[in-house]
Amino acid sequence: MAAAHGTALHTGQAPEPAEPIPARTAPLALIRRDLLRLIRNPGRTSVHFAIPLVLAAVMVLVFGGSGPPQITIRLLVWNEDQGVIGRFLAGAGTQSGAGDRLDLVQVGPEGLQMMDEGDPASALIHLPATFSEDFLAGRPVTIELIKSPSQRFLPQLVQEGVSVGAEVLDQISRSFRTELSSLGSMLDRDALPAQVEVAVMAGNVVGSLHEIQRFVLPPIVGLETVTTGEEAPTTEASADDATTTDSQGSAMAEILGYFLPGLAMLAALFLAQSVTRDMMADREAGLLRHLLTAPVTAGQYLLGKTMSVILISALGFGLMIVLGMLAGVSWGPPLAVALLTLASAAAIAGLLVLLMSLATTQRQGDAMSTVVIIMASMLGGAFIPLTQIPGFLRPVSAASPVFWCVDGFNELMLRGGDLGGILLHISVLSAAGAMMLGLGTWRLGRSLRGGA
Amino acid sequence: MITVRRLRKSFGSLVAVDGISFETRPGEIFGLLGPNGAGKTTTISMICGVLQPDEGQVLVNGHDIWREPRAVKQVLGVVPQEIAVYEDLTARDNLSFWGSLYGLRGSRLRTRINEALERVGLAERAGDRVKTFSGGMKRRLNLCMGLLHQPKVLLLDEPTVGIDPQARLAILEIVKELAASGTTVLYTTHYMDEAEQLCDRLAIIDHGSVLTTGSIEELTAFAGEGEVLRLRGRFAGDRAAVQERLTGLPGLRLLSLEDDAAVMAVEPDGPGLLAVLPEVLSSGLPLEDVSIQQPSLQSVFIRLTGRELRD
Repeated sequence: MAAAHGTALHTGQAPEPAEPIPARTAPLALIRRDLLRLIRNPGRTSVHFAIPLVLAAVMVLVFGGSGPPQITIRLLVWNEDQGVIGRFLAGAGTQSGAGDRLDLVQVGPEGLQMMDEGDPASALIHLPATFSEDFLAGRPVTIELIKSPSQRFLPQLVQEGVSVGAEVLDQISRSFRTELSSLGSMLDRDALPAQVEVAVMAGNVVGSLHEIQRFVLPPIVGLETVTTGEEAPTTEASADDATTTDSQGSAMAEILGYFLPGLAMLAALFLAQSVTRDMMADREAGLLRHLLTAPVTAGQYLLGKTMSVILISALGFGLMIVLGMLAGVSWGPPLAVALLTLASAAAIAGLLVLLMSLATTQRQGDAMSTVVIIMASMLGGAFIPLTQIPGFLRPVSAASPVFWCVDGFNELMLRGGDLGGILLHISVLSAAGAMMLGLGTWRLGRSLRGGA
Repeated sequence: MITVRRLRKSFGSLVAVDGISFETRPGEIFGLLGPNGAGKTTTISMICGVLQPDEGQVLVNGHDIWREPRAVKQVLGVVPQEIAVYEDLTARDNLSFWGSLYGLRGSRLRTRINEALERVGLAERAGDRVKTFSGGMKRRLNLCMGLLHQPKVLLLDEPTVGIDPQARLAILEIVKELAASGTTVLYTTHYMDEAEQLCDRLAIIDHGSVLTTGSIEELTAFAGEGEVLRLRGRFAGDRAAVQERLTGLPGLRLLSLEDDAAVMAVEPDGPGLLAVLPEVLSSGLPLEDVSIQQPSLQSVFIRLTGRELRD
């Protein structure tokens, strides 16, 4: 002990007169303290980032780190039609490209039994015996699709593909009615058609195609190519360009880009949870009571804590953005990303402050907020893509701030949207954040005034 | 410096503080002495503005804590009973945060921190996390935080609970020096010896009320105490008979009786200790030990409350 020889705090003189303390002092001191505690506890802080990063790593491992996901769909084809259209459709799936992803198995009526007995096929497609004849004659035709009940997503994918195919056939039937009728009558004959007849039909097809191509073939996919040293990006590119730029790195970035927004939100949520948890810990350990003996009001305390949570959430989010950028992920226009990040941070702060205001102990607050974080993340698309969420849950998803954050980033990253495209997301997140913050701080303030 | 008027606070049907009034003088150490649950911490909480009283008024330097909280809090230092420090931060971090709440910045803050750490003997551990500190060191840091802004009035709520005698002595020394330099100290404790050693004046409180106020000399004189006889024995068998025999002893007044102990006051106007002691020893009571105590706060407390104040 240095009691006997230490420097006296008061040396007999009267203490210095008190100076007025600005109102911003306490909130700023509280923010500084929270940031300092994050820095002084690197282990605890890194765990909050580790959880989503581990999840991301698991996803990359599951999908494979050497390229985009390779999924093969086994499909049974029961083709009773021996006409040209049926043969064409049945064989289309074996062509280059589709052949890599489809495992087509030609079957007869026994295909139905195979499906019943648990064949791993995702679906069975049935083309009836008169399919080609009816199609060429302009009569309604039906393609039957029997989906496997034991699978969830792949049969859905097949259904989507077959619906697109049916739509294309329908359009062909409407647009090339005359030519199809001619083709039908040519095929009905035993003899080969005359060259003139074929040439006329081909000319008609080309003419019709020329007419309709501006309606049915607008440019849908463009590729933006930037070469180092060039100032302006070019917007036209061939399929070859796309093929040559598709590397392992971009595939990895594509996968990360799909999951990172959700994982960034998750990291920010866990990080913010650690700060709001301290509010309850402060209270239980008597630290809050001690704080309120200093020139700090309950309002200043709550303001400081709220600002801390927003700032730390935004920092957590920002760090994940930087990590994503280092891995080659493109997040979108910087201003839109910044605003969406801030709005997400506000929503996170609101959610956690509100939850903490509902809890009576730190333990209760922890349990409650962890459950809500996990549920909101699952429903909001942090763990699985939003498109994979079952339809009946989608209205519930919209109640999760994670949904608005993830969907906003999807708009920027996957759908090429800009600030205008995410204004709704920013507004919803900000409004929800403000509302929850208001309610949470009101409840906490009322409780503090009743005694810390 | 501190004026407390008819302070009252209830929690549901429990009356924690029941009309407490006292006044401290500049530069004195005023003690609030009472057992656990007497209402000391509730009183301190109302004085420092953390808990709003149901009735009554608290003035610090003439300012009402509930009407002018900022004016009061700037001159008030509080050392709570709990060790209110952040264990994951260093001692310097804790002090830096606390000082900044009082508007201290830059070199002024650093100087104050260094002085305060030096004063409580923690300068060499300034950069260590508090979680590595012993209980006594944490208590000293707790005290340090209350002193950093050089308060004119210091409230200490049982600051020596649970620490070793050496650390306790050091804290008492610091408190004495602070009072000597002009700081008014309000000190709550349930340790009789601490109150006797430290306080210029004190109020004995129990069940939320002030039983008496004054210096130790005034209190013992007021209570009219002489020596106290402390008897140890096996009184559980027939307490009624033991009580009858004890109250029948001349020149003694029974203060308290328990299964294994009795406390008796020697009447100041009686025959005196030497005359009554043989009577006690030959009374036939199942005695195991007899000791004599000079008038003290303990005897005053027993006289006022009818029971001993145990640590």
